[in-house]
Amino acid sequence: MSNVIQASGLTLAYDNGTKSIIQDANFSIKKGEFVFITGPSGSGKSTLLKALYGQLKPSTGTLVVGGNNLSNISRPKLQELRTHMGIIFQDYKLVNEWTVAKNVVLPLMIAGYSNEVQDTQARRLLKHVKLAEHADKYPLELSGGEQQRVGVARALSKNPVVILADEPTGNLDDYSSNVIWDLMENACQQLDTTVLVVTHKIPTIFSLPYRHFIIENRGIYEVH
Amino acid sequence: MKFINHLMFILPLMAILLGLEFYLVFERTTNNYETTLTEDYRILVVSKTPLELEFFQDLNEHIITTIEIERKGIVSNVAEGISKDNANAILNALPYFYNIGLDAYLETSEIEKIKQTLESNHYIKRVETFGSSHSSNYKLFSFIKLILEVFILFMTVVSLFLIMKQMEIWKYAHKERMQIMETFGAPMMLRSGVLFRVAFFDAIIATICVSILFFYIKYSWASQSGIDMIVKNRDVLFQASDIMVLFISAIVIVILAVYSVVFSSKGVED
Ligand SMILES: Nc1ncnc2c1ncn2[C@@H]1O[C@H](COP(=O)(O)OP(=O)(O)OP(=O)(O)O)[C@@H](O)[C@H]1O
Ligand SMILES: [Mg+2]
Repeated sequence: MSNVIQASGLTLAYDNGTKSIIQDANFSIKKGEFVFITGPSGSGKSTLLKALYGQLKPSTGTLVVGGNNLSNISRPKLQELRTHMGIIFQDYKLVNEWTVAKNVVLPLMIAGYSNEVQDTQARRLLKHVKLAEHADKYPLELSGGEQQRVGVARALSKNPVVILADEPTGNLDDYSSNVIWDLMENACQQLDTTVLVVTHKIPTIFSLPYRHFIIENRGIYEVH
Repeated sequence: MKFINHLMFILPLMAILLGLEFYLVFERTTNNYETTLTEDYRILVVSKTPLELEFFQDLNEHIITTIEIERKGIVSNVAEGISKDNANAILNALPYFYNIGLDAYLETSEIEKIKQTLESNHYIKRVETFGSSHSSNYKLFSFIKLILEVFILFMTVVSLFLIMKQMEIWKYAHKERMQIMETFGAPMMLRSGVLFRVAFFDAIIATICVSILFFYIKYSWASQSGIDMIVKNRDVLFQASDIMVLFISAIVIVILAVYSVVFSSKGVED
């Protein structure tokens, strides 16, 4: 099976390479794998995800995602690549002037789906994350946990090839967390979606096989 | 977007459009006025012998028409009640009169030069010019025009700065949304679609407001103004084609403004 993500000698740094966060990391992730990433606060988990969706270019080494070397990917190619990603942000990043339903179908809107398709998809996804009755509200009218679930629904709305999730259950109770884990497991199992999840707590009930990376002291290590 | 944000964009845009329209109207009015002055302006030449247009044109290229004044008409007034022979004698003694038309409205000094050229020719006995009162009117007019143009230019520059300032606010208001859309792979046109729609809408509003104002000036205010020149030139005050000129100008400004927002809010690479 092919590697969806391949990092070799990867160094990620801020401030023009002077502040390195991750150094000389090597790992590869195959299609359909489920990966948990843990590590202390400030270790660089979000930074790694940023690099994976092309917002932060590698300082040295290579990072290949879906066959694209992110060091020298063109803007249109990156745009195209991103339409196959479902990104869940630690701070949600919802568009506050849009309704919850519209936020959820942003990837469908970008892909040019009709309003009807967007509408039905929005209802369906919001039901999955238990927010059906909030479809016409605005993000700032929701609780933190509810906003987080809108972000999850958005990431899943176009059946992405890769899901990059940054603390998707960070603000949720056990019940809501399990709803999210179920959704991700389903995507991984049924659609062969590759899932990378940054979390501080790997769920105790998890039915799929998974890999576990720890980011610590600028290195990325796999726990076996 | 809030109403005030629209207003902060529409008002400077209107100021630019108003300036542009005032400029257009003034250009046209002045052109009309200059034409009137040129037609009104006359040089009267008195000569010993009949002269052709070509003769005058050889002397000065600004001369484009000559009208000979009927001498018989003059004599018939003078010679009322005297015999035909005597009348003929008067007619023969009478010089020839020519009314000379120029191709453009000229400075007083230019006119003076033409006058001297004509007078120095030995066929010509006398030269009279009429229209010096127009000249001072015209000078005042030109002066006001210059002041207005400077003012319009100044207003346009200030308005452009205001629009750019307003764009900063738009940028701030839209940056987050555009960046979120970008992380999901939205192309530039989709990211900035709202901005373009809003800006086009504002451009239309500004054009309509300015057009209405000038329609009002043309159809209501102008005829009651009692200003001779405005009443006479009412037709050129505002023309349908101006709406197009204003609209296109507004759109160009809007496109430049929006692009400045779109390109300065990329900021993806950290
Ligand atoms: N834009 C930036 N410019 C400079 N330094 C940054 C930037 N973003 C993050 N950092 C630094 O990089 C380090 C790693 O940050 P990162 O957000 O990846 O941590 P994290 O592992 O996600 O932490 P947490 O668990 O708290 O979310 C931190 O020390 C942080 O201060
Ligand atoms: Mg983080």
